[in-house]
Amino acid sequence: MTVTDTRATLTIRRPTAPRPEPVRAPTFKLGTPLAGRRIGLRTDGAWRSWVLIAGEWDERLRDAGAETLQVETNAQIGDGGRTDRRNIDAWSDEIDGGIVGLGTCGSCTSFSVQDAVALESHSKPSVVVVTSEFETHARNMASFLGHGDLEVLVLPYPLEARPDDELRAIAAEYWPKALELLGAAERPDRAAARTVRPSERDQQGGATG
Amino acid sequence: MSAVLVSEQVEVAADPTALYELSLAEGWGDGVPLLPPTDDAVLALLDATPYSPDHVVGALPPQYGVATIELVAVNTAMTGCTAEAFPFVIAALEAMLVPEWNAFGLTTTTSSVFAMLLVNGPGRDAAGIDYRAGCMGGAAGRGSMTIGRSVSLCLRNIGGQRAGETSRTVFGQPARFGLCFGEWEERSPWPSLAVRRGCAATDDVVTVHGGKGTFPLADIHNDDPRDLLYLIAKSIAFPLSNMFLSGNPENGDVVVAMNPMWAERFGKAFPAVEDCQQYLWDHAWQPLAVWPEGNQQILRDKGRVDAGDRVRLVASPAQIVPFVCGGLGSLHAVALPSFGESQMQSAAVLRRTGSA
Repeated sequence: MTVTDTRATLTIRRPTAPRPEPVRAPTFKLGTPLAGRRIGLRTDGAWRSWVLIAGEWDERLRDAGAETLQVETNAQIGDGGRTDRRNIDAWSDEIDGGIVGLGTCGSCTSFSVQDAVALESHSKPSVVVVTSEFETHARNMASFLGHGDLEVLVLPYPLEARPDDELRAIAAEYWPKALELLGAAERPDRAAARTVRPSERDQQGGATG
Repeated sequence: MSAVLVSEQVEVAADPTALYELSLAEGWGDGVPLLPPTDDAVLALLDATPYSPDHVVGALPPQYGVATIELVAVNTAMTGCTAEAFPFVIAALEAMLVPEWNAFGLTTTTSSVFAMLLVNGPGRDAAGIDYRAGCMGGAAGRGSMTIGRSVSLCLRNIGGQRAGETSRTVFGQPARFGLCFGEWEERSPWPSLAVRRGCAATDDVVTVHGGKGTFPLADIHNDDPRDLLYLIAKSIAFPLSNMFLSGNPENGDVVVAMNPMWAERFGKAFPAVEDCQQYLWDHAWQPLAVWPEGNQQILRDKGRVDAGDRVRLVASPAQIVPFVCGGLGSLHAVALPSFGESQMQSAAVLRRTGSA
């Protein structure tokens, strides 16, 4: 009969990689009114809801006297992915600050954060927009990419399958917060003045997968 | 070889269950018991590779932990992987770190996708890699069961990938425990996958596929190989495939694992594998009318609809990838659908000169 010495120990090696120290990259704020500034909006062809909300915000930016520049991303890899990343780089050069969305799935949140970080790396104010289900993931990814202080605007979840008038109401409700995170020194009465008018626009149909 | 190990040492009771309990408490494990990564076990693995322990394979997302050969060996030692098979683990990680595989997206997505390891080369048997009956589960080859799991543990412990935390996968899939199988090259009518991808037939090669799951196909009625391939093509072009979500049909590969009996029939009809792929591609589409009206407009907006109102699964025949494996019982194939935004990558297995 074999007797095991229960006091015996083994020396093993820890299998985990050391976690890098959190990097706090500098963040930037507009610090001025929107008028005369060029503000970027990064959309993603995957999300009808975000195209609508970004469109609403585009109008509000122009109402406030800003010039807007939209860039749409559609791919993560391949020729399309390389083109998207080049476009983000060029877009970052051309704007004074930008709003990047939408993170409402795992990989699209990762890439939204990556593109927002790319913008911030150009020393420009940058806000990434995500839905609440993906907030923690967005903050984690920002931290992993060395930009743990990246501004994150959190919208309700889910956005998909909501009717357009609800999405417009969400756009209106979160607009002041978007301005605040961007650091725009906008007069509060002006930022909140615009009301939702669903009848102004054509209805858009069809939910995405 | 007398390598100097630098990873942190941990004392654990020699009781067989102690490491298991520790791994669960520390979050090292995948829920299944592990073997102790002692220095002897780690050094035995390191002896099989030409890389030094401090060689960096790369930074593994999502947390970008630095995968040194030593850390990869520590994780591999916990699965019981042999020194013979260890270089396959390294090759798999090297392939996964090619940017076009999109580890950044695949490790964080809501999708079930995971690294599926397809192995070619003369070292399959010695490494214990299954490619015959039950090769995707059940055959219990030591290499198949430990290589895939080692890669999975590396993603977990070095890359920091944790379902529900850093990975947003909604369902996951069994392959997240590890999926590694070989091609039955000797029964294939065509050059091996690795050779088709430009590797030498004498090399052991790991091809990493971002596969969403194992999608079973079956038939007992078709005598004409073209009819059977036609139905395979229609089956892999299912309307809710990831491949139809994006406007980028040029990204992504769909693997069709064919049993050797079917492959023999297909090989007679199509002696060149490219012709078989072309035939599959010719039929891997759905009519636009399959989708509801709203989806039809989205597909049009994304440029996915051709002049004949067809929506093709992928942009080119090369993206449909036959892979011969499985038992001789025929009747079945398995598709490994693509995540879409991922292109399969291959890496040759490198061994230390003089090792097995």
